[in-house]
Amino acid sequence: VSDARGLARGLFGALLLLGAWEGLARGLALPAYTLPAVSEILLAAWQHRAVLQAAAWVTGQEALAGYALGSAIGITLAALLVLLPRLRAVVLPCAMAINSVPVVAWSPLVLLWFGIGMASKIAMVALAVGFTVFLSALAGFDRVDRRSVDLMRSFGAGAFGVFWRLRLPAALPLIAAGMRVATVRSLIVAIVTEMLGAYGGLGWVIYQAVTLIDFVQVWSAILVASLLSLGFFGAIGALERRFIFWR
Amino acid sequence: VKPALHLLGGLVLAGLVWEGAVLAFGIRPHLLPRLSDVLGAIAATPGAYWSGFLRTLSETLVGFAAGALVGIFNGVVFFRAPLLRDMLLPIFVVSQTIPVIAFGALVVMWFGNTLMAKAIIAFYLTFFPVTVNTLLGLNAVDPRQVGLLRSFGASGRQILFRLQLPMALPQIFVALRLGASLSLVGAIVGEWFGDTRGIGVLLLQAMYNESVVALWAAILCAAVLGTGFYGVVAFAERRIVFWGAEQ
Repeated sequence: VSDARGLARGLFGALLLLGAWEGLARGLALPAYTLPAVSEILLAAWQHRAVLQAAAWVTGQEALAGYALGSAIGITLAALLVLLPRLRAVVLPCAMAINSVPVVAWSPLVLLWFGIGMASKIAMVALAVGFTVFLSALAGFDRVDRRSVDLMRSFGAGAFGVFWRLRLPAALPLIAAGMRVATVRSLIVAIVTEMLGAYGGLGWVIYQAVTLIDFVQVWSAILVASLLSLGFFGAIGALERRFIFWR
Repeated sequence: VKPALHLLGGLVLAGLVWEGAVLAFGIRPHLLPRLSDVLGAIAATPGAYWSGFLRTLSETLVGFAAGALVGIFNGVVFFRAPLLRDMLLPIFVVSQTIPVIAFGALVVMWFGNTLMAKAIIAFYLTFFPVTVNTLLGLNAVDPRQVGLLRSFGASGRQILFRLQLPMALPQIFVALRLGASLSLVGAIVGEWFGDTRGIGVLLLQAMYNESVVALWAAILCAAVLGTGFYGVVAFAERRIVFWGAEQ
């Protein structure tokens, strides 16, 4: 019951905000420069749907490809470090050094290396997602109780057996949480890198609209980016609930 | 003094490994220039790097401080006014999953290329997580402790400042650490929309000149700033929340 009431209040709050926004923009006849009305943004998004759709398709592909690549690398690397503890002393400091740089500061370098096509965006997304997933996977693998490991060892399980039957199931909820956070990050990084240079994509649309001082277009690109991000976040969240039922 | 010495030793070692690896493996300067070249580039024009460093630092600090204060205040307001919370919190949570940094373009268009514009971007990237975590922390306080204090005649304000806020601090610091990284990212990306000073500008200029050495010099500055700022926040956390931090 309280959930339903919370939902109703939330919807009411969102409607109130949108209404106030629309009313303020219309009532005070604010120029698009200050704040375009919601209806104007929706209309612009509909009028430019072909451009925005193409841009969303490019950004979505980059984010998804980088996301898959980054997640695979992050989990594999964390698993390797757990299975081969000696690697840890070498790899972990290197990883921390790379991670100490704000992720967007790598964008110009990656653009120089991979060109301004989609490859550079995929590499940047993979970097950002990879670190998020790597750190949560490592924390998850390390989380198991020492005594459980000893117990399995005493029954003759090898390092791989312990990993497969104990560490991996224990780590999955944390890995999934990391992957959920990484969905948002993947789109942000793709868009930010596109702003620096690209042939297409939502970040590119935003950057061009800024240089043309087309405010409504910036807003409609942000709207599309937000919808894309929400959809991606929702899909990964649904997958998580479906497959990691024991958390 | 000892941890500082260890840190210094680690840094010197890392620098030697960098220099040695480039020489030993013959890594092309296009991928990774020698550390001595990078440091030489900074030493050649220390003024440019120093002023860029200071500029980005002040943008980040102003935005972060404002975001932390307003975020904590907002969390308290939401805690005290459940109706407001139910109406606005869902919007906050949803806004966490959209690429808010895209609004950076709008902020720069509103405020021009001022320090203020970048500080505002850093502000709202900090402000959202701090609000949400403050509320989480306040909600987690044991109601029996509140009841005990109240039975001794403590006023609402006293309960807030003596019990609830201190108990929420570990959660708040989780968000502050996140905000420390995010606010720097916001400041750097904000500078890409055509500022003349700052680490973001240095990155952009180096990219346009295709100067990998200058790019690495700017990345190094960003790393020093990011790590230093994060370190200060983490240090404050260990000092203030001495009874145990959240991970």
